[in-house]
Amino acid sequence: MTVLGVPILEGLYPSTMDLYPLEAKEFNRIHPFYENLRQKRFTTTKCKKCGSVPFPPRVVCPKCNSDDLEWVDLPTQGKVLRFTEEVAGVPHGFEAPLIHALIDLGEGRKLLSRVVNCKEGQLKEGATVKLAVFDIPAMVVENRGAMEERPRVFFAFEPVK
Amino acid sequence: MADRKVCILGGGMSKWGVREASIVDMAQEAAKDCFDDVPVLKKEDVDGLLFASSYCGRRSFQVNAAPVIAERIGIKPTSMCTRVDTLCAGGSSGIILATGLIKAGMADIMIVIGGEKLYTPQRWETYYSELASIDHDWDGAQGIGLPPPFFSMTAQEHMKRYGTTKEQLSAVSVKNRRNGLNNPKGHFQKAVSLEEVMASRPIAPPLGLLDCTPVTDGCAAVILTHEDKAKELSDRPLVYVRGTAQVALHSMSMNWPGEDLTDWVHLRTAAKKAYERARVSPDDIDVAQTHDCFTISEIIEMEDLGFCKKGEGGPFVESGKSDFGGKIPVNTDGGLLACGHPFGGTGIRQAREIVYQLQGRAIGQVEGAKIGLTHNLSGLNVEHTILIYGREP
Repeated sequence: MTVLGVPILEGLYPSTMDLYPLEAKEFNRIHPFYENLRQKRFTTTKCKKCGSVPFPPRVVCPKCNSDDLEWVDLPTQGKVLRFTEEVAGVPHGFEAPLIHALIDLGEGRKLLSRVVNCKEGQLKEGATVKLAVFDIPAMVVENRGAMEERPRVFFAFEPVK
Repeated sequence: MADRKVCILGGGMSKWGVREASIVDMAQEAAKDCFDDVPVLKKEDVDGLLFASSYCGRRSFQVNAAPVIAERIGIKPTSMCTRVDTLCAGGSSGIILATGLIKAGMADIMIVIGGEKLYTPQRWETYYSELASIDHDWDGAQGIGLPPPFFSMTAQEHMKRYGTTKEQLSAVSVKNRRNGLNNPKGHFQKAVSLEEVMASRPIAPPLGLLDCTPVTDGCAAVILTHEDKAKELSDRPLVYVRGTAQVALHSMSMNWPGEDLTDWVHLRTAAKKAYERARVSPDDIDVAQTHDCFTISEIIEMEDLGFCKKGEGGPFVESGKSDFGGKIPVNTDGGLLACGHPFGGTGIRQAREIVYQLQGRAIGQVEGAKIGLTHNLSGLNVEHTILIYGREP
């Protein structure tokens, strides 16, 4: 007999092991965030009814329950409030030092984000950082038996030189 | 029907550590230890099971695990049999839910089991899976799965704002590892010196290896019932669930509720609610198990649980006020730092220790303890869960 089973997944895309979002429109109603990101725009949804601008983006306004939302731009620069350099125990898919910062984007928004293009010891509190957009591995979507690769981008912040 | 008063009858644990066992094996070990603790109870009288485990779906490829566990331990639930997932607070969530069901008369005798099999055959998957612990699409994708970076920033903030020192952080680890020395069920039975903690391998400075709870496999279990049934089944002093609270205010990537990372508004809200519901104040608590996932966590918990003033958590711990003989002994069984932290198991391990304390049979006994508290923070500090137990309802 032949024993099939999947001891090691070769040539398959296990989406449950994907650390990045399933950005393709078939799997995500906020796919415009990623399409905007590709244009170096950092965006979220604004409620047309009550005006609230939550982040991350929504499909329904968490304040007033309206689903009449529009995409708006957020600042792409901010100031580092606190940062940390993780030197050990970094998860697969990332390299040490893995740098994270609490970033003040202004307008009362603080964002915890990864900081890239930055060496250990280089970042300082108060430093200005800006949005960095980069390619990440494509996800694979099955379409009538064919495997289609969907390119993806993701974001972090980087020091302003 | 009037609300019934709910008691914890007894508790048990599997051995915690790096285990050569599956989640289903360890659930059986914990249940056995718990049933052995309440020898008069007949298994067939247990009508409900809650199983608190966040990672069985991912690391054991087993969703809907509760019926599997029920079958393996030999019970046939007729009131409720379901899985609970609140990550680090799953066990406490299970106890709160069981309390509510029994109180309302919807269940009579429930076993709450919780725990995790975190170690996978290849270690990369063990750490990689942590990316699922938080807001996957926003924080996980930033590599913020394992929490040291977040708590490193919290520690830095506390040091800057209140002058907390690395010695004070380290004192938490020294105390809890010492408390865990005689607890055979915990992950570590080895004391560490202040110098060893201070010099431990940097993870996310100022936090070193000995400032962090380890990755641990294990399960724990408790049995709850109503007051009348508890009197029938046990000669031990009764331990009542007096008051509970669980507060979630954000999902972290943005939207942190406090003024800065040391300002745990949601913990203070949870504490206020739990104290009100239990009709006690912080000064009434004789013994507490708080969520020392990192040394800085226990320091801030002392403040926001109301055991000391805001900003004074460092000196409070350093001067022994949270040690045996101090104002309030905290993490008397070793806490997360010595016992480890198989997420869904932790709240149940804490409950077991409080029950043993209030019944006067703990390994490290706080003399005359009558009111105890357990606390969990879960995820990247997104939620706080508190239970207050007492010898009186």
